[in-house]
Amino acid sequence: MTQISRRQAIAVLGALGLGATVAACAGPGGSTAPGGSTGPAAPSSGDITGKVSFAHWRGEDKAVFDELIKRFVAKNSGVEVVQDISTSNDYNAQGLQKVRGGAIGDAFATFRGSQFTNFTEAGVYTELKNSKAVGNYQKSLLSAGQSGDSQSGLPYQIVFPMPMANVDLFDKAGAELAPKDWDAFLNMCEKLASSGVTPISWPGGDVGNGGQLFNCMIANNAPVDDMCVQIEQGKLKCTDDWFIEMLNQYKELAPFLQANATGTAVEPAQNLFSQGKAAMLATGSYHLAAVRNLGAKFPIELVFPNTSKDGNAKYEGVYNATFILGVNSASKHQAAAAAWIDFLSEPENAGYYANQTAQHVSVKDVDYTNADLKRLSPWLDKKTALAARFQFQNLDVRNAVEATATAVISGTSPQQAAEAAQKIVDERL
Amino acid sequence: MSTHLGMATKRKAPGNRAETAAKKRRSPTRVSPALYLFPLPAVLVVAIFLVMPTLQAFQYAVTDWNGFSAAFNYVGVDNFVRAFTKDSLFTNALTNNLKFVLLVVIAQTVFSLLLALLLTKNSRGNVLLRALFFFPTILSSVSVAFIWKFIYDPNFGLANSLLGAVGLNGLQSSYLGDNNQALYWVAMTQVWFHAGQMMVVYIAGLQAIPQELYEAAEIDGANKWQQFKSITWPFVAPATSIVVAYTTVQSFKAFDLILGIAGNPPKSSLDILSTRIYSTFANSEFGYAAAQSIIFMAMIALVTWLQRRLLRLTPKGE
Repeated sequence: MTQISRRQAIAVLGALGLGATVAACAGPGGSTAPGGSTGPAAPSSGDITGKVSFAHWRGEDKAVFDELIKRFVAKNSGVEVVQDISTSNDYNAQGLQKVRGGAIGDAFATFRGSQFTNFTEAGVYTELKNSKAVGNYQKSLLSAGQSGDSQSGLPYQIVFPMPMANVDLFDKAGAELAPKDWDAFLNMCEKLASSGVTPISWPGGDVGNGGQLFNCMIANNAPVDDMCVQIEQGKLKCTDDWFIEMLNQYKELAPFLQANATGTAVEPAQNLFSQGKAAMLATGSYHLAAVRNLGAKFPIELVFPNTSKDGNAKYEGVYNATFILGVNSASKHQAAAAAWIDFLSEPENAGYYANQTAQHVSVKDVDYTNADLKRLSPWLDKKTALAARFQFQNLDVRNAVEATATAVISGTSPQQAAEAAQKIVDERL
Repeated sequence: MSTHLGMATKRKAPGNRAETAAKKRRSPTRVSPALYLFPLPAVLVVAIFLVMPTLQAFQYAVTDWNGFSAAFNYVGVDNFVRAFTKDSLFTNALTNNLKFVLLVVIAQTVFSLLLALLLTKNSRGNVLLRALFFFPTILSSVSVAFIWKFIYDPNFGLANSLLGAVGLNGLQSSYLGDNNQALYWVAMTQVWFHAGQMMVVYIAGLQAIPQELYEAAEIDGANKWQQFKSITWPFVAPATSIVVAYTTVQSFKAFDLILGIAGNPPKSSLDILSTRIYSTFANSEFGYAAAQSIIFMAMIALVTWLQRRLLRLTPKGE
């Protein structure tokens, strides 16, 4: 047998190491998905077969989707759909890397805002403009899934990121549910506090949920509708008068929040509300099912913290169109994935999803039978602003801008908080 | 005769060759090539999963790659310069991390040594207590984070409830919600989590100290403090070295504990280097995140080296 010396062995291993080095030096950016824009149209026909992976972050909706999958498979015997569920934070951080290879997420959902933009830039979405599904949606709500001229995704859910209210506590305190301006809103909080309850339960210790109140506070304060885009671009500043004014209003809210609000996570905040200790939960309608599961039996309404001074507010509330459904351009089962999206977009199935999860959908002609959804349905026709915080493309900027609210509620002056946030924005211009 | 001798000499030559060959066979520098195949799987695993990603991190660090686009630009050392001069979030995370490491290293080393000193003897009670203090170590960091998140909750949490029950309402706090205190509370959690593990390292060191030394010291009239200073501490120096180095690395990488306890993204008062790098990756700045990762790696190496230099924790006599 041929023998080699230690030196030769080291040379062989060294060559392997060098090979690894050279391989490592291949340029970044390799991908199976084409980059740059929305991919070709999802096939409208073809074999609805194979194993479709449906990637999303709504773990709480798993059972509902399981039932819908059962119905879909009953109609299409050669197909199997499996859910690939991550937590919302993980999905937000790693969703794109997970899905872009095509092995996971033949069909997928994205958050509105930076994640949707990243997915479209990475070319993960296919064109749905001429799909069967698109006709089922309310036209005015489709914009959140558009990228240039393309209809990359279909925003499935409509949520109202506004405080939810315990109507019984409001009635008991004699507080009005629809304050016409900021003074009326503060007056309402006063009445609730006088009746012995905490007016607002706010999860200030949870960046994602605590930041939803920002959508309400900024909607009528900002001079333009794309205020967060302009802040990110440096055209508007956190140190502008209107922004400082908004922070002053946050400061006025502080006495009406639960004690130590900045350290409260979302679950305890939900508990305060569902146990009737707090009259409002300042997150949004997407927590309806959660608070019901925690035992809330009282009727629930939405309250808009109207920040206008004179009662002439531009908007009566805020909404968000999210859970943007799409078909993966790198999928090997595109026809089946497209059929699954079509199926979800049928009014009957969208209605089942909505009523079971207590969330409105942007699909037309849906019959809302869930009592909470029925009660809140008038909000679908009100003049509401599209939630502003999802305009931010840079999450560091978003977190810095929203952190001004937490800082002010903790006792920092609005000016100081605004300057600290603007510094971070300026660093990223 | 000469012929005989000559023949003998001639016969010796093949014998020499055989001896040399045998020597070569015995020589540790000459082995069968088949033997070199055995480490090959390990070499490949290390090359693919450790060497290549590390080298790639260096390459990405000098680009502005966003993590998904095919296009990117080489930006030289801009990412490194940006981290230290134009990114207050990064410098804030660095400051937080150094503060966190300092707090945890001091508290955990002292606390685990104290526990070890109290529980060195192998009595039944001590074994039970050791198991109790070691228990948090076997929990997952996410479980630990959720336990302590509940304890620190200002509304329903155990800490404020206990303080309220004994009438110390004035001491009730927002804990993680207070930017000035949050890092200290998380450091306390980290110490609770890992002190038991370090206690075991110390106990092993303490049990190796010859008892005769203490007996001799007692005969010489040395008090407990003098015994600790002159016998115990020098003998547990190697264990301290391990504890300090391990705790340092652990504290730099308290990623899962911080995310579990503070959520994602953590607020700026709880942002440490590993969570900042994660946020930068999530923000689709792969090139910049790679540069931050390299700084992070260098920081751990530097701090560990400085500790070894400054503490000079070598056993007596070495």
